[in-house]
Amino acid sequence: MSEKLLEIKDLAVSYHGYAGEVQSVRRVSFDVEKGETVAIVGESGCGKSVTAKAIMRLIKTPPAEIKDGSRILFKGEDVLKFDDRRLREYRGGEVAIIFQDALAALNPTMTAGKQIAENILHHVKMTKKEAMAQAVELLRMVGIPQPEQRVKQYPHEFSGGMRQRVMIAIAFACNPQLLIADEPTTALDVTIQSQIIDLIKKLQQEKGTSVIMITHDLGVVANIAHRIVVMYSGKIVERGCSMDLFHHPKHPYTNALLEAVPRLDLNNKQVLASIEGTPPDLLNPPKGCPFSTRCRYCMEICCREQPPAVSFENNHEASCWLYFLKEAPADAPFVKEGRV
Amino acid sequence: MLTFIARRFVVMLFTLFIIATATFFLLAATPGDALTSRVERLPDQVAERLYARYGLDRPVMERYVMTMKGLLKGDFGESIVFQGQTVQSIIAEKGPISARLGIQQMLLGVSLGLLLGILAAVKKGTIWDYMVVGLSILLISVPNLIFALALQQIFAGNLKLFPVIGWPTTNIWFGGWEYTVLPTLAGCFGYIASYARLLKASMLDVVNQDYVLTAESKGLSRGEVIRHHVLRNSFIPIVTNLPMSIAMCITGSFFIESVFSIPGLGLYYVNAVASQDVSIVMGETVILSAIYIVVVFITDILYTVVDPRIRIAGGKK
Repeated sequence: MSEKLLEIKDLAVSYHGYAGEVQSVRRVSFDVEKGETVAIVGESGCGKSVTAKAIMRLIKTPPAEIKDGSRILFKGEDVLKFDDRRLREYRGGEVAIIFQDALAALNPTMTAGKQIAENILHHVKMTKKEAMAQAVELLRMVGIPQPEQRVKQYPHEFSGGMRQRVMIAIAFACNPQLLIADEPTTALDVTIQSQIIDLIKKLQQEKGTSVIMITHDLGVVANIAHRIVVMYSGKIVERGCSMDLFHHPKHPYTNALLEAVPRLDLNNKQVLASIEGTPPDLLNPPKGCPFSTRCRYCMEICCREQPPAVSFENNHEASCWLYFLKEAPADAPFVKEGRV
Repeated sequence: MLTFIARRFVVMLFTLFIIATATFFLLAATPGDALTSRVERLPDQVAERLYARYGLDRPVMERYVMTMKGLLKGDFGESIVFQGQTVQSIIAEKGPISARLGIQQMLLGVSLGLLLGILAAVKKGTIWDYMVVGLSILLISVPNLIFALALQQIFAGNLKLFPVIGWPTTNIWFGGWEYTVLPTLAGCFGYIASYARLLKASMLDVVNQDYVLTAESKGLSRGEVIRHHVLRNSFIPIVTNLPMSIAMCITGSFFIESVFSIPGLGLYYVNAVASQDVSIVMGETVILSAIYIVVVFITDILYTVVDPRIRIAGGKK
């Protein structure tokens, strides 16, 4: 099969606060192949952004701690062991990141052009003038009209969608092999969201970049992700290719998430589905399955022991005890298909 | 922008009017007047003439109207204590002395303060940070009068490195630097403390902004991130404070000037209040307040230079 660009193995990140240790990410493993888009989906606080920042090594230690045994391999090299110099080549040059709120993520006192040129100048040897000329080209590439004037403008002079395009221009300035998009569309309205997603998709196809798309919105993921990783309270509960996951979810959490997506083909009298309760406190994570407290199908064992990952065809995996029952409960139709 | 300036100008005039009125009535309400001690030994007729000369024999409201009329023309009246002197001549004579001292204190204090602030923010949580914080607390809580006396005792009294008191009388802007060392040091501590704390707090706030993460994610080194992204944004609160400090420079410092016998404005001003030299107090208060108000106004305009976001808002007005 194709080559692995990024492999994350047993990543665990904790934050040490006044109240104690918050285990944000608890032993997560997944990998990203060349040219592939992997989506990490989950609700707020499930550890998806922390995972993204860990890949860039943007996590401040202290207060955070990346636990021993965690490994992030980029083309076989351990990112967590990079020295300063190697890290600076890696950041921005080989891997780039886009944040959720482009207004906060752009320096308000620096022109858009300068912020793009800064990235180029850091990784490629050229004059400031050449870098600015390239910044204009990058702005044109991400679809900003009149890029010659726009390079000289400050972030507050751009609209929300345009700002996110500037962020994308910064990210693609050095043709990175991996782009991490941390909720790139959350702060935007729906029509702009799809434009930004299409832009990322287009650039990815042109340049063969791998993308890690982090989102809590399954709708955003549907037309871009090849594979999806579903996270819940710092753990991966299900993973698989996009088609399998959307059409045959295996984990009760994924199933509930998909049921909660509003559908256009239903009339407006329909009550929107939701998942009752709140995610577990990561200061004190439950002993058993993290989803047990909110799970419709919770059994005795779910509260006691963590479920192992169960494999299905096509590299589809889910961690749930339901698959160990002799007979699936009648109200869980999704469990029927492909039991162990 | 023009209407903004015009509106601010009207507000400035109104503020000055309130300051002048308040000062006048506060002075009028104090018992006795500038002539009380002088007329004790004089015959009644002479005393009456003296009172008539300065208009002190009129009722309060009449004097108020007279004073305000004078203010409009820029005429503050003659000093009662020092005959023949006017506010303008006193400020012209003593202003530069206080201004030199103030500027030296501020330049030294602000630059040291900013350096220490950067140090504390960059080395947050280390011994350096705690040292800067401890020093700031010490410098801000001990009055500069104490420092002045201590410096005088150690460097002038014991070590005999600098003169104990005095101030250069010729070449008042650049001469006689040895006289200025101790007063400058004594007065700069307050600046060091406040600017170190201000910049540290501001930098720590900026460091947690998302755009600093963006800068780091471009692969910039820590130094580059701080120089290009953190510092400029951290300087916004400094820009608010700096002009205030500059305005404070010229008003002089009573304590420092009295400890080192410097014939500056601060010392003179306090003496004028003590001897109830009404016209001088009125004049100085109004002129110094006017300078202060203008500086605050300039600060608002300066903001737009540092922060481009404000530039737009101002332009649209």
